[in-house]
Amino acid sequence: MKPDTDFNRETSSPSVSTTLADIFAFLALLMRYPEKSFFDDEFLDTLENLLDKLDLEPLRQKISVWRSSVDDQLLDAQVEYTRLFINAAPHLIAPPYGSVYLESERSLQGKSTETTRDFYRRYGFDVVNKAEPADHITLELEFLSCLYRQEEITAAETFVRTLFLPWFEQFYQQLMPELRHPLYEVSIQLISYFVQEDQ
Amino acid sequence: MAINLTRRNFLKTASIAAAGIPLSKVVAKAGTGIAKAPLIPPGSFKHTKTVTGGICEMCFWRCQLVGKVRGDRLVKLEGNPKSIDNGQNLCARGNAGIKLVYDPDRLKYPMKNIGKRGAPKWQKISWDEALNICADKLQTTIDKYGPKGIAVWYHGASTHYPNAYFDYLGVPNKYEPAFYQCRGQTAMAMMQTLGFVPNEDVDMPNSKAMLLVGCHIGENIHLSHVKNFLKGLENGSKAVVVDPRFSAAAAKAHIWVKIKPGMDTAFLLGLMNYMFDKGIYNKSFAKKYCLGLNRLKKHVAEWTVEKTASECDIPAAQIVEVAELLAKNAPNVSIHPGRHAAWYGNDFQRVRANACLTAILGAMDCPGGIVRIKRMSSGHVHWPEVEHKEDPEEMALAELEEKFPFRPPGTPPELMRDTMISGKPYPIKSLIVWGTNSIKTMPRQERTEKALANMDFILVTDVTPTDITMWADILLPEASYLERYDHIEKGTQWNQGDTPQQFLSARMPLIDPMFERKDPVWMINELARRMGHEKDIPVKNQEEFVNHLLKETGLTIAKLRKLDGIYIQPGESPYLKKGEEPKFDTDSGKIELYSEAMEDEDFPALPTYTKTAEPPKGFARMIYGRSPVHTFNRTANNAWLVREIPENPLWINDESAQKMGLKDGDRVFLENQDGKKSVSSTVVKTTPGIRKDCVFIAHGFGTFNPAMTVGYHKGIDDNELNTIINREGETGISGMRINFVRVVKDGKVIDIPA
Repeated sequence: MKPDTDFNRETSSPSVSTTLADIFAFLALLMRYPEKSFFDDEFLDTLENLLDKLDLEPLRQKISVWRSSVDDQLLDAQVEYTRLFINAAPHLIAPPYGSVYLESERSLQGKSTETTRDFYRRYGFDVVNKAEPADHITLELEFLSCLYRQEEITAAETFVRTLFLPWFEQFYQQLMPELRHPLYEVSIQLISYFVQEDQ
Repeated sequence: MAINLTRRNFLKTASIAAAGIPLSKVVAKAGTGIAKAPLIPPGSFKHTKTVTGGICEMCFWRCQLVGKVRGDRLVKLEGNPKSIDNGQNLCARGNAGIKLVYDPDRLKYPMKNIGKRGAPKWQKISWDEALNICADKLQTTIDKYGPKGIAVWYHGASTHYPNAYFDYLGVPNKYEPAFYQCRGQTAMAMMQTLGFVPNEDVDMPNSKAMLLVGCHIGENIHLSHVKNFLKGLENGSKAVVVDPRFSAAAAKAHIWVKIKPGMDTAFLLGLMNYMFDKGIYNKSFAKKYCLGLNRLKKHVAEWTVEKTASECDIPAAQIVEVAELLAKNAPNVSIHPGRHAAWYGNDFQRVRANACLTAILGAMDCPGGIVRIKRMSSGHVHWPEVEHKEDPEEMALAELEEKFPFRPPGTPPELMRDTMISGKPYPIKSLIVWGTNSIKTMPRQERTEKALANMDFILVTDVTPTDITMWADILLPEASYLERYDHIEKGTQWNQGDTPQQFLSARMPLIDPMFERKDPVWMINELARRMGHEKDIPVKNQEEFVNHLLKETGLTIAKLRKLDGIYIQPGESPYLKKGEEPKFDTDSGKIELYSEAMEDEDFPALPTYTKTAEPPKGFARMIYGRSPVHTFNRTANNAWLVREIPENPLWINDESAQKMGLKDGDRVFLENQDGKKSVSSTVVKTTPGIRKDCVFIAHGFGTFNPAMTVGYHKGIDDNELNTIINREGETGISGMRINFVRVVKDGKVIDIPA
């Protein structure tokens, strides 16, 4: 383990990187198919709480309004997730896989997927379920969380810069016109908030 | 601070940390997709390995292939170097299998439609939930209506095991487009006449002449078949291609017979009449092995060269030239039986005429003729025989209505569709669609949609989204042909003139299926368990299924794997040995030029031409065919193939086009005789290589389903314009070249001059 930063020594809170690890793990969950096992009131409360602490009040309000207007939030989120990211009619909006945007032809398991997995392995991680391509947005965010947890800050920065942002920006553009659902509008903006460089 | 936090700035982060938001608690509930693994330095999984045992299914020719796999990723497909069939070659589609496997649009998880059929809203659900729903709905149908309340539409190698289960359930009505919109008549009319089905086993490399009627080898690329055709040409065989269009095969032909569409039967009868008249047919063969020779002679006598020439709109001299060429080289001539035969609704008779011509030339079981290739055999998997309250065979619609006595296996699709709409003679309320896009295969799509709307339950299983997947209640994702075990491919060396060898290969996965895609054996067994049939499950999994099929050969998956996927043994020549007599498995034991069985069923006992309707004024007949890099609609979403040939240009005669003010590259829609306009458009290709009374487009384009993001609305769907149905009485198969179109450009309808 690397030593804590000066900043952390000055406070009694968890280290910055531990907090970032938690945040990225949470962002990863936002991009995972909503399941009963985690997608509950506590999860959504946490999301609102996080938005509140980040002073992103308009986003928090969107979530709050959505929660009060939809009875079955889980089903609502599942259907929208499926439409945006899995299979849909009229058509799949934005497959959440890096290679679809990074390769010359939109394709899964491209060379860039291999590079991504290579990166995971170099830091001693791998995907649990081999049936999922390694460059699914959720896995990439989880990996970032793992890096922060190990205080591999530089590696995380490099990963974001070289493998995540290059496709996330295109993905975001492709999603934008279809981002009508508050949950996913907010989720994507929140991810963007944490990965974009300062202007 | 050592950490260069940018926008993820430490103040915000600190405030979150200090705020005590229970992020880690929330996150812990969900588990993780990334875990610690042994450290692997870069480069250590860069080595590519070759995985053998693949069998292609980008079309139905089943070339044997190998995959180059790096890590978990399939990076390239190649012909299996051990193959004596396709060899190391693969066609464009075979190569592009990779794009199918990794197509992001592919089905990934089981889905439930919580929207409407045709305008679905999908919810991803678990396999358990999906299969529970399927079992419940199918059981409800069976309880209420009996197994006859279920219909099955299927296609492809993956349906072997599911079909065995549907038979066990007692489902009487199943339909496969491979028979009913393609080669049904070719198989059944050959069987009725010769007592065997030659498929495309035509010894073209060793022929002296070849006759292809409407068969455009080279546009339909089946590798070893194309090799056979080309080898024949290389060896000096003279090709005659009968086609209204200057097809790829016509471009290689010695004689191109630019026949009027719909006149092929007349042409064949005319050829036979000329040969009889001149006494140049294979007399000894015909006398010895054919039944009804004299009756056939009398029957075709009306088809004089002049009449044939006038009806077919071709020069009389050309008929003579073709007849002389074939007769002179008999029996070493390849009279190609064709494959897709559902053209004009009188096709059974045309194939009969083709078989009769083959017979009077004696062009079989000899070099150059149609040959009975001797392949190894393999087994089947059956579920136990069970007694059903109603005998499924008797309950099959065609049987019940005493219709279509010479139909291929299964129920004619329009008959089934009518019943699904009317509920007569009994209700069909659940539909299982497995690996076929019936919106594209069956003419009159609005009837298909009506039938679908009438169902209580629709289950669709496929590899990719297609038009019909939009109608599913439950949609199941199947592992592709590169990710599963199933088919046993048996054959011989591609050129029958070479040293006889036989091969056998079993399809083995080159990579594991991704996401939650499953193989059909797993799916069916899980369904069967939920329907209370666990004790009768015949094989536990797909490997056991294939080993069962291999049982009688003494081979196993493990043995085949050691043999690089292909077992080869010495074979037998398909040519008759000196003194060996040919056998014909017909009622009479002879080739039935005259068929009593047909007479008994009130059909012409001798091959008979019936007139095909002419195009109305201002319209031309719409004919269709294949595109060399596509397999119908199956490849419509394949990025590589769509890049090569993105749409299906409309072939139109150049002189007609000039009169119509059309030029190459113009965008046009088509409108048929019933005012049905194509949803999408295509480009014009003007050419002297097509007659004025017809236009041509390749089939399989103009996809309706926007989920197929690559192929959506590219080109025109010919089937959408098939509103006339002309079911022939022998088989129940409808012709699909009996519709007529004119052109719509910039919203203006333009007549096609005669």
